[in-house]
Amino acid sequence: MQPNLDLTFRALADPTRRDVIRVLQKGPRRASDLADALRASRPAMSRHLRVLRTAGLVEAGVGTAPAESAARGGGRAAGDAGGRAVPDPADADARERIYSLAPGSFEQLRSWLDEVEQFWGVQLASFKDHVERTRGKKR
Amino acid sequence: MIAGDQAVVTVRVEVEPDVAFEVFTTEIDRWWRRGIAYRVAGRRPGTLVMEPKVGGRLFEQYDGADGPALHVTGTITAWEPPARLAFEWRGSNFAPGEVTFVEVTFSRTESGATELRLVHKGFAALRPDHPVRHGEPAAVFIGRLGRWWGDLLSSLREHVTKG
Repeated sequence: MQPNLDLTFRALADPTRRDVIRVLQKGPRRASDLADALRASRPAMSRHLRVLRTAGLVEAGVGTAPAESAARGGGRAAGDAGGRAVPDPADADARERIYSLAPGSFEQLRSWLDEVEQFWGVQLASFKDHVERTRGKKR
Repeated sequence: MIAGDQAVVTVRVEVEPDVAFEVFTTEIDRWWRRGIAYRVAGRRPGTLVMEPKVGGRLFEQYDGADGPALHVTGTITAWEPPARLAFEWRGSNFAPGEVTFVEVTFSRTESGATELRLVHKGFAALRPDHPVRHGEPAAVFIGRLGRWWGDLLSSLREHVTKG
């Protein structure tokens, strides 16, 4: 297994981050939209997205967010002060970006699932050898 | 079930289905691969047993560090010789209640051989919070670290297939 896949698994070990992936499968989203959709605080979502980006699962597009997004995001964060985390200046940047799945990053996961089939392939090949050696017809 | 939440493997064996079914089940210890990737016992002596009935068990008995040990992989849920066999599949570190499912069908070909199709599914139901050990091959996951990333893997697989 590639070390990178290990990183991938670790990134996906969190239910919110898995939900992020599922939402992004439908299309690109702003961090603020993701936070709203998944009932996460903005700072928490920012952290999740950072982990996903580090693992190479998610990409952040720059400059594609509508201008109103930043203002709206800031306004909302202030309005959400009850119960929600105080806005963190560090993730203001993240809020404006458009996040999407990084297509190439799933190649390793796919090949890993292929390995699952390889496990059974090896077993069944062994079964075939055994059954044909002991019971096989002469052809 | 989420589409794609399964591994499917087929093999053609040059015996009749009734023979294939019989050998697959009663001689499972003879053909099942040995070694750490395939057995709980690893390279230590051990025996794999499939009890031939619905409700029977698929288990491995072996010499553990503290004496004789038993790992029950699962219970037989379908026993329909010579056509179909199904059993549960639990890795040795699955939490109670966590289980995946294996179904094996034996179809006779025109020439009297058997087309065997094995489907391993149900990963979507597993909690994917198991710490992943670095460098562990997939086969070891299946046998021992079986908490998979099922729903995610499945949807991702669909994703990459589409993409």
